[in-house]
Amino acid sequence: MQFTSAIVENAVDALSGFPGIGRRTALRLVMHLMNRPEAEVVRLADAVLKLKTELQLCSICGNVSDSGLCTVCANPMRNQKQICVVEDFSDQMAIEATSQYGGVYHVLGGLISPMDGVGPEELNISTLISRAAQEGTDEIIMAFSATVEGDTTMFYLARKLRDMPVKITCISRGISVGGEIEYADEITLGRSLANRTEYKV
Amino acid sequence: MHLQRLQLFSFKNHTEAHFAFCSQLNCITGPNGSGKTNVLDAVYYLANAKSYFNPADSQIMQHGSSFFSVHGWFADGDKEDEILATFTDKGKKTLKKNDKTYNRLADHIGMIQTVFITPYDISLVLEGSEERRRFMDFTLCQTNREYLEVLSTYKRILEHRNSFLKKMEGRNPDPDIMDSYDSRLVPAANRIFGWRQDFISEFQPWFQEYYGWLCQTTETVALDYESELITEAYSDILRRNLDRDRVLQRTSSGIHKDDLVFSLQGQPLKKFGSQGQIKSFVIALKLAQYRYFLEKTGHKPILLLDDIFEKIDALRAGKLMELVARDFFGQIIITDTHAERVKNHLKSLDTEQVFFELGG
Repeated sequence: MQFTSAIVENAVDALSGFPGIGRRTALRLVMHLMNRPEAEVVRLADAVLKLKTELQLCSICGNVSDSGLCTVCANPMRNQKQICVVEDFSDQMAIEATSQYGGVYHVLGGLISPMDGVGPEELNISTLISRAAQEGTDEIIMAFSATVEGDTTMFYLARKLRDMPVKITCISRGISVGGEIEYADEITLGRSLANRTEYKV
Repeated sequence: MHLQRLQLFSFKNHTEAHFAFCSQLNCITGPNGSGKTNVLDAVYYLANAKSYFNPADSQIMQHGSSFFSVHGWFADGDKEDEILATFTDKGKKTLKKNDKTYNRLADHIGMIQTVFITPYDISLVLEGSEERRRFMDFTLCQTNREYLEVLSTYKRILEHRNSFLKKMEGRNPDPDIMDSYDSRLVPAANRIFGWRQDFISEFQPWFQEYYGWLCQTTETVALDYESELITEAYSDILRRNLDRDRVLQRTSSGIHKDDLVFSLQGQPLKKFGSQGQIKSFVIALKLAQYRYFLEKTGHKPILLLDDIFEKIDALRAGKLMELVARDFFGQIIITDTHAERVKNHLKSLDTEQVFFELGG
């Protein structure tokens, strides 16, 4: 791509570094931005900048927040005795979207994955342990992806928490809703069988 | 199950090639470099979604081409299955069965069994233990779905455990993380170990029978499965070797170190076997593999015989063909440089025969 303007080229270079964005798409975005009113572009720039200058992590759970305390931890209606541990805030949002959960969260900021250079010391684990030790905490729910990294982290946390007077649970894994048994892979199906639950009517 | 038709595009030296095979003996003849072995490899590719010789698909693609494809039509009684494997220069590999794309290539493994006998097989004897483990794994994966799953789980966890040891750079690893890996590694290793043990005890008598037949000899040959897990529980081994693993920064014990020891008259084959004995040994291994597939699945695999008459003497070749006629009447595809020689070997066999001549 040959540019007649270094300003345009810089913008394209910056955008093409985004995940899933190539140079052609970056150019489309740049052209779109050039055609928008200045106020709108300033708002966008401001929104991007604030991600770095104003965004904080919640001092309790490690989730993203504006004021040092996230909206979940600040909400008196949430059950503070139940803590759901998740990998990152997008997983937290996925669980929140189920509307099935009334407790609070704890965001680790990753999973134990030595191949990516992430060990337990890189994760938000020590605050979880002190939260678990706090009086009034009843249950720690581990909600991780069903991967080697997720299983490793789950085992590690369960070990670290095993002497605490809290109940430790993990989300169940099995057949997805609307899924058919004949198309489920053997491992998932085997796990569903092993972790079957009593059916009551 | 047999291959009725095969169509190749840009597959190694075949820009475009079509073959209509019969359900019994098929012979491909032609000079060196005419691509005989590549046709066998294409059949192997349809069954296993990879080449027998080239681990990288990009090396299979004809130079200057943007893709290659292998297309095969298989028949099993009245049932017909069409398998299409394609690879593009973008690195995308797809495998379709009856126009439906497989989500995972592994789901295809085991549908079509092949036994490939080639002169390169002596690497089983001459090379390191990895070749022999691969032979065991390949044979087991074809007949036991779970084996493939458990083995890949084992390898994945092992990779994590090794990176963790590397990350620690020789420092003491957190025992809770080590236990997290070991608690999943141990049951996977135990299952693989058990399967391999059962496999060898079932496989061994067939192997010995075929070796005796091929060589018309009473020499004793044996396969011994060698694994640290035979004498000690894997969990104990891991615990005992923790210090060593910490220093080496990798997992030094486990089923990824297993071996299969080949012996002749109680002596190591690699050291004491003659060239002829080594060749017969690997052919007997492959014939036993054929028998194993047959017994486990009830179907005759496709037998791919690459340049077989060139590499073994007339007596053994004669015995091999006799055996093939007696026990192995599935589909066979043979390659040879000399059309006359192969016709001579096959003329006494009362079977359907089709000949293909490849140009130089």
